[in-house]
Amino acid sequence: MGRRVAFESSCAIAEAAKMANIDVCAAYPITPQTHIVERIAQLIADGELDANYMPVESEHSALSGCLGSSAAGARTFIATAGQGLELMHEVVYVASGMRLPIVMAVCNRALSVPLSIWGDHSDAMAVRDTGWIQIFAENAQQAFDLTLCAFRIAEDPAVLLPTMLHIDGFHLSHVIEPVLLPEQEEVNEFLPRYHHPFVLDPKSPVTMGDFATPALYTEAKVGQDVALRNSLKVILQVFQEFGERFGRDYSPVETYKTEGAEVLLLTMGSFSEVAMEAIDRVRGAGEKVGLVRLRLWRPFPFEQFRQVVNQARLLIVLDRALSFGGPGPVCSEVQAALYHLRQRPQVVGFIGGLGGRDISVEGFQDMVHRGINKAKQGKLGEIEVFDVREQ
Amino acid sequence: MDELVEIRWHGRGGQGAVTSAELLALTAIREGKVAQAFPSFGPERRGAPVIAFNRISKDKPIRARAAIAEPDIVIVLDPGLLGIIDVAHGLKDGGTLVVNSPRELSAVNSEIGGPWRLAVVDATRIARDILKRPIVNTAMLGALVKATGIVNLESLFQPLQERFGRLAESNIKACREAHKETLIMEPTPGAKRPEKVYPVEKWPSWKELNIGFVVTEVGSARGYQTGYWKSEHPVRDNERCIKCGMCALFCPEDCIRQTEEGYFEADDFYCKGCGICARECWTGAVTMVEV
Repeated sequence: MGRRVAFESSCAIAEAAKMANIDVCAAYPITPQTHIVERIAQLIADGELDANYMPVESEHSALSGCLGSSAAGARTFIATAGQGLELMHEVVYVASGMRLPIVMAVCNRALSVPLSIWGDHSDAMAVRDTGWIQIFAENAQQAFDLTLCAFRIAEDPAVLLPTMLHIDGFHLSHVIEPVLLPEQEEVNEFLPRYHHPFVLDPKSPVTMGDFATPALYTEAKVGQDVALRNSLKVILQVFQEFGERFGRDYSPVETYKTEGAEVLLLTMGSFSEVAMEAIDRVRGAGEKVGLVRLRLWRPFPFEQFRQVVNQARLLIVLDRALSFGGPGPVCSEVQAALYHLRQRPQVVGFIGGLGGRDISVEGFQDMVHRGINKAKQGKLGEIEVFDVREQ
Repeated sequence: MDELVEIRWHGRGGQGAVTSAELLALTAIREGKVAQAFPSFGPERRGAPVIAFNRISKDKPIRARAAIAEPDIVIVLDPGLLGIIDVAHGLKDGGTLVVNSPRELSAVNSEIGGPWRLAVVDATRIARDILKRPIVNTAMLGALVKATGIVNLESLFQPLQERFGRLAESNIKACREAHKETLIMEPTPGAKRPEKVYPVEKWPSWKELNIGFVVTEVGSARGYQTGYWKSEHPVRDNERCIKCGMCALFCPEDCIRQTEEGYFEADDFYCKGCGICARECWTGAVTMVEV
């Protein structure tokens, strides 16, 4: 029935890649992701994992190499962070356009300049439109579980899309926590070998990554977009099956103490657990406040999101990224999701947790109260950067 | 002139259709008109059919940038295009079709005549005589002006001067000569559009495409008939041919194969008429002849 171990999220992801029996891993080390690929290299060197490890000269090459291995039908894993994800940016689009079910762990890291090795969601938001499925984990157990789910989702014949699993740099990647590991047979049953309808094979040659004139490009991209939208059905099925097999339930939009809540706070990633502590405290003080945790960022789970928030009076959204000159990217998306609803909450957006800046439990309590006050004062459109020194 | 005149140029890569459209726009703008010129963007290949466009108005601003589907004027730089491209597609009734052809006006009219004014000139001969090469774009500008008066003939010369430098004089001469030689036929009342049916490209819906835009048909490029890009083709003199195979070695299309008798022959389906075989043949057995 499995065993309970102490792992940082990085090792939990490496362990999941091992139990998923990956064929290929390519990566270029970058903080705070390095532990994942170091661990995988170690597992391969120790003979615990039979896979090819591609040491490469850059992240651009790392993902390019993964295109090849995935196109040949190999189960392919890659990990990166921040600037590394930026350097592979053009290849990120190629992987989804070619419909290759690569799984990538991203240890969310702030983007230069100023240079920062610490976490925020700037890198995740910069790849929002690349056509990958994007899932956020909140702790080491989720990082393990959702890595397995990511392979299962990506490789589903109805999906065949690359998938990113996001963990927050340092706040998750380097934090040791208890993790329950399943038996290898259980993982094998959940994650059988997959077969891509088109693989590189000299006996049956195909052309991949071809060129399209204006007469074809739109159609090719619409097919890709429809696949990403439709992947939501498979994601729901996979989460359900995972829950039935392993006893831990996941959903594209998750909630904490939202019953009867008039005010909702929305977070993504590891800060959600900190926010839960804050919700406990404000609930304890008799305030009707709950938490919405966005697990799935792409495809955006519009229906599930609307159902969770439409009864609330106020929705306070935390973005861990700036969209310079506009609202935070999550806030923007949330407002678009609500715009056509007859009954919808007011929305107040905060930007915070940039470049590794902590938000404490007290900080989240403060954020909730500031949000409520701003709504009272009608300052709904104002974008406030939380905990910024004005003087 | 009308509020807006829309023009479509049909030529082959290298014949100067795009340059013609540019020169026409430069000329119109110098005359104080509003004008626009643009090519049909895509991979450029010498000899392949190409399209260029002009929009010209007296003073109304031109904002449309889309390809012209229903032109007032169509100009065809290459006589060989008439058989393979529906050059008159969308040409307005009462419009003008200007064709480069060595044939009689009446013969061209029976092939491509319709409810439009037809203008014909043997621009290839004029270009060969004056420019010593079959680049017909400046001659066709002269024919266009004769058939439509869209700009003044003299207004063309300054832009030509600036564009062609030391070659300007001969280009202006070709332009003048074509202007003089162009024959025009007004449409007969009730004239019908040509009946020839051209193959229409059928594009797949997004649902019909393979996952990841994968192409499973191996060697699908073999279906491209690059042979119709040519204006000249290689002709072999067996008296001079020593069967050395240099022509085949240098053929960039790799379309020259040895026959049972040992001679080397270009596959007409693929030969683009580049002339490299004739240039490389050191016994002078291969010459390029107009198609």
